[in-house]
Amino acid sequence: MDAETKRHLMIVFFGMVAALIPRYFPMLFFTTRKVPTWFNEWMNYMPVALFTSLIAKDLFVDHSYHMTFTNYNMYLAALIVVIFAYYTRSMFLSVMVGLLSVWGFALLLAAM
Amino acid sequence: MNEHTNEPHWLKALKACLPLMISYLPIGIAAGILLKTGGFAIWMIVLVSLFVFSGGAQFLIASSIMTGTPVFTITLLLFFLELRYALLGTSLSKYLKNESKPFIFRFSFSMNDENYAVNYLKFSTDKKWSATDALMVEYFSLLSWTVGNIIGGLLGTKITIDLPIVHFALTAMFLYMVTMQLKRRILFVPVVISVVVSVLTVVMFKSTLGLIVATLVSATAGYFLERYLKANYSDSAMLKRIKNPRAREMEQLSEAEN
Repeated sequence: MDAETKRHLMIVFFGMVAALIPRYFPMLFFTTRKVPTWFNEWMNYMPVALFTSLIAKDLFVDHSYHMTFTNYNMYLAALIVVIFAYYTRSMFLSVMVGLLSVWGFALLLAAM
Repeated sequence: MNEHTNEPHWLKALKACLPLMISYLPIGIAAGILLKTGGFAIWMIVLVSLFVFSGGAQFLIASSIMTGTPVFTITLLLFFLELRYALLGTSLSKYLKNESKPFIFRFSFSMNDENYAVNYLKFSTDKKWSATDALMVEYFSLLSWTVGNIIGGLLGTKITIDLPIVHFALTAMFLYMVTMQLKRRILFVPVVISVVVSVLTVVMFKSTLGLIVATLVSATAGYFLERYLKANYSDSAMLKRIKNPRAREMEQLSEAEN
């Protein structure tokens, strides 16, 4: 095995371990224990909070971790996705409409 | 949502997972292209897709191997990138109380933001959604992700993909998820706080650790606001539910929640 393959295998192995620790241990801890009611009530807020933070990062932070407020095609597409999601309640439609509109608006804005 | 009591588990899971599987293909292809460009062999791309199974991590690995970052640094970066999975596992744990340790291991091994999103929605709206169904959703998404990566690896440098546009499929999915979760007015509070705090902290830390801070801060704020309102202003407009245009279909679902 050459050095590069070895290095790549190490990256994959350590990457697996690094991803597994936060995936496994908290879940193991909380599934094998009785948790108080307040904890579950608190956890009810977790998905909305987490998904929103992921969206905000996608829309307002670029790949070199700078704030950006010029992804106009994404903001317009995001608005359309929310409206579509609210009325259709279909994940598939929402994603497809989102992709189409983010692409369409990018072209449109580039042409302007 | 119709009731299909005799529907096999795999079909139920496939139906729930299909939009995610379709979104994963182009993003998987993009990840595969980048990994191939960085020097990964196809079988290595398969390994990383199966065992790390994380879009963010694989993009990070691809850019790290191109710049020759030391393995130790990559591991550390990946660990901090993936720390937010602790939140996913914690919030799903109430639905997986009766499962064995080996099951928890298998389940957590293939859990990531996207299949968590699908499963959380199903668990919280579908009474019959089982841990087995949820695990199958993970495997279907893993399959589509790996196939996408392999296609990308085979295409290599023959094709260029507009990554920000393709990535928007996931953004759109999370937008959908938030819209579905917004059942009560009070939930707008954590949403607004999360936007502000996540942008500020992600930029400040120059890492996705900011996402964890934002999630914890905004969820805690929502929780305490609800407690405060319930104790002092129990008829507050903030505590009202949000109208759902598909309320009839959803009625059985909200019952499942209580």
